Amino acid sequence: MLDTSLLSLVTLLPAAGALVLAVLPARPAALHRWLALALSLVVFILSLAVWFRFDPDLPSFQLQEQLSWIPQYGISYHIGVDGISLLLVLLTTLLIPVVILASWSSIDAHVKGFHISLLLLTTGMIGAFVALDLFLFYVFWELMLIPMYFIIGVWGGPRRIYAAVKFVLFTMVGSLLMLVAILYLAWYHQLSTGAWSYDYLALAATAPRIALAGLWSPQALLFLAFGLAFAIKVPMFPFHTWLPDAHVEAPTGGSIILAGVLLKLGTYGFLRFNRTLFPAAWDFFVPLIVVLAVIGILYGALVAMVQPDIKKLVAYSSVSHLGYVMLGLAAGTVASTQGAILQMVNHGLSTGALFLLVGVVYERRHTRMIADYGGIAGIVPAYTGLFLLVTLSSIGLPGLNGFVGEFLILAGSWKVFPVAVVFAGLGIIVGAVYMLWMFQRVFWNPLVHDENRTLTDVNLRELLALAPLVVLIVWIGVHPTTFLSPMEAAVRSLLG
Amino acid sequence: MLIPSPTDLSSIAPEIVLAVAAGVLLLVEAFLPGLRRLLAPITIVASLIAAWARFHFPLPGVVWGGLLSIDRVAAFVDLYILAAVLLTAWMSGAFLRRNDVDRGEFYSLLLLAAIGAMVMAASVDALTLFLGLELLSIPLYVLNGFLRGHAISIEAGLKYFVVGAFASAFLVYGFALMYGMAGSTRLEAMGQTVLDGGGLSPVMAIGLAMVVGGLGFKLALFPFHAWAPDVYQGGPTPVTAFLSVVPKGAALVALLRVVDGLDLLRLSPHWVTAAGIIAVASMTLGNIVAIVQRDIKRMLAYSGIAHMGYAMVAIIVAGIDGGSAVLVYLAAYTLMNVGAFAVVALLSEREDEPHLISELAGLGWTRPIAAFALTLCLVSLAGVPPLIGFTGKFVVFRAAVNHGFVWLAVLGVINSLISAFYYLRVVYVMYMQPLPRRAPVFPSERSVAAVAVVAALGVVLLGVFPMPILEAAHRAILDLVR
Repeated sequence: MLDTSLLSLVTLLPAAGALVLAVLPARPAALHRWLALALSLVVFILSLAVWFRFDPDLPSFQLQEQLSWIPQYGISYHIGVDGISLLLVLLTTLLIPVVILASWSSIDAHVKGFHISLLLLTTGMIGAFVALDLFLFYVFWELMLIPMYFIIGVWGGPRRIYAAVKFVLFTMVGSLLMLVAILYLAWYHQLSTGAWSYDYLALAATAPRIALAGLWSPQALLFLAFGLAFAIKVPMFPFHTWLPDAHVEAPTGGSIILAGVLLKLGTYGFLRFNRTLFPAAWDFFVPLIVVLAVIGILYGALVAMVQPDIKKLVAYSSVSHLGYVMLGLAAGTVASTQGAILQMVNHGLSTGALFLLVGVVYERRHTRMIADYGGIAGIVPAYTGLFLLVTLSSIGLPGLNGFVGEFLILAGSWKVFPVAVVFAGLGIIVGAVYMLWMFQRVFWNPLVHDENRTLTDVNLRELLALAPLVVLIVWIGVHPTTFLSPMEAAVRSLLG
Repeated sequence: MLIPSPTDLSSIAPEIVLAVAAGVLLLVEAFLPGLRRLLAPITIVASLIAAWARFHFPLPGVVWGGLLSIDRVAAFVDLYILAAVLLTAWMSGAFLRRNDVDRGEFYSLLLLAAIGAMVMAASVDALTLFLGLELLSIPLYVLNGFLRGHAISIEAGLKYFVVGAFASAFLVYGFALMYGMAGSTRLEAMGQTVLDGGGLSPVMAIGLAMVVGGLGFKLALFPFHAWAPDVYQGGPTPVTAFLSVVPKGAALVALLRVVDGLDLLRLSPHWVTAAGIIAVASMTLGNIVAIVQRDIKRMLAYSGIAHMGYAMVAIIVAGIDGGSAVLVYLAAYTLMNVGAFAVVALLSEREDEPHLISELAGLGWTRPIAAFALTLCLVSLAGVPPLIGFTGKFVVFRAAVNHGFVWLAVLGVINSLISAFYYLRVVYVMYMQPLPRRAPVFPSERSVAAVAVVAALGVVLLGVFPMPILEAAHRAILDLVR
């Protein structure tokens, strides 16, 4: 069973775990923490098994599983990974135990409910990455919605309700139109082949034939229906307004998940669905994507610069960073696409680590305002060192992961969109400015708040949560081939 | 004189079972009042036996000299009506005892209404359709006013009666006009007349409009919806649960038989426009007005108006896709609605006061099972996968897209978005608001909670594994659409 349904295990085990937690008594809370942690580690180990069984030389989907689900409509439970989704699945399974550790003491109310939500969310995220049937994809995609609503709304900050409702409504706007588009694709497939199917591989053969003639033609509208769902998730300017609210109000664990994985589903969706299913519309809309991506890069960076709240600063930096990813995808060369995918992982690692670090001091001081800190470098040296490393990774210092991704994106896009690359380069400079300026004000300036004198350094649990992220930040920076080579075949075949 | 053949009799065995049980319940009430605790169990057993009878005896098709068609569609509808009866009776015992009106009449009337709904759904003749409608409606007038001590309940009963009488008059008048044109009360003959005439004649069109209006009242479709909020709010909650699903199911299937019998989609271009307006107006009005409701029963009333709007989309599409979508949607809607109302019945302090959503504050953590069941039902009503409400919407919108009604599907999903807002607000109140200082004391009856749990389990399991219900609906509709 382990042999043939490994990927299903990785996908569905978290949900099964959520069921187990649901029937256990709510107390002691520690039981739920330990069980969820153990489960998430098992899932991570299983996903490593997927990594080792994966053949990087094959461009096709591997470890495929297909079970009949609703045969009369041509819907099946069809999953599989290629080099692109493999990396993102690993990122997800890696971040879940990190999130559980990060929430260990900060989530002290309704602990059972938190872990149930988190595990259901995990199944939704992994499922959306591995689904090879559009119906199944939609189910997993929407499965993320309610758990995230709970995580923000129950365990979030003061304006959590506003943020949670905004998150849900924004997400649903996009996804519901995507549902109609999916229905249309299946209908078109039936029209041209006589058989019903929601299978990704089948639809990828027929969908490109849908007519494209201007903005109001079917293919363009379908592209926009899918694109809106993903653009909101990414989030691309001007659909980003839910993100600062959600990030700031969510508890630390929720922010890590949001930034680390959820946003990647948007960029992944563009690559997997919009590009493959609607190649003509993709070419038609690429200029728009590039413009919005560059606006996002600069706008996100400039707004981040003036934020007084560290978490909000990191949130806006996400808008900027995801702009690079979209630029890389839009340029569509092998290097820029590989860079974009790697940058998805990088952003998950560095931003996840940043949110985690912000959570560390927030737990001690209950404030995230930059002005409430200053000069704490001498008091919490280990923390300072870790924060510096992650900051440098985020601004793309050579030798760390961010550099590799950004370099590949910009170098790969240069031939296609030189002007956009120039502007994006400006974004990198602004990015360095706001990150380092924030670092300076928090760690180096004179120590003016006496409360900060008693700050304690990172403890073992926090160190354990950070360790895998830090290791990978350096690993990708020094030896990116480990992560670039498994996706190369898939990227080449996807770009045709 | 019509002499029933054995086939005729066996084909209505479920109805006979329910009628006998209705009598037995009255006798128990009259002569053995000490056995009142057995009233609900007797009703449950009767519905189970009736369901068994539906499976056991063959489905002969048209029987009783052409008055009823006991086909797979009728069987599908019967089973879900019986499921609604079972769940309603299960939650009624404790509810009625709490309000001191645990009487045999209640269950007896419930069973009679169920018979009416079953007859209505099986009718292929205007006369039986009308008879079924009356047999369904009259017990419900009484049931809505069953909490005699509460003015709000009596008001509900009276309102439902007045509006219901109008609806019946509409229906009868419409059928009279159609009969005048067709010379027969058979739906088939009416369809033939339309076909021979190459379209709807003006008189036929007026008759049809009145029939649709009469059924529209029962469905609470715009513009025949105004009674729903008051009646939902005032009636005893188990009755509201029953009322919100059974008459709608019967009326939708009756409408489906009329629309399909007359082949309206092909013969009358105005039908799509008119029905499309009704569908879109129902969903939009229902969803928008539901947002501002403070009483959860009123909110569910408006949500019900919206849901019938979605179902109307499937009626417009008609044919195999649309017909089976109607049936699937009904089954989905029944489960989620009965589950939601069961929780409302459980979490209510006094029946003569509004069931305020704000009173549910903090219950997510103090009453986890009931609150979670309600959450599942509401999220499912919002159409979030993998719950059965999503399956229902999926088949409806799929049918619409497949038959060139993409615009209806788009308006439908936009409406789903609006609805998510108010469904999730209840979830927000339950889980994200603190318990109020003076928290209401809610009963904790096992049986009512059990109904909610069963419904919620159904919502999840049939959502993840929708095959049985999709296949049953598909097979059933093949009997109707040729």
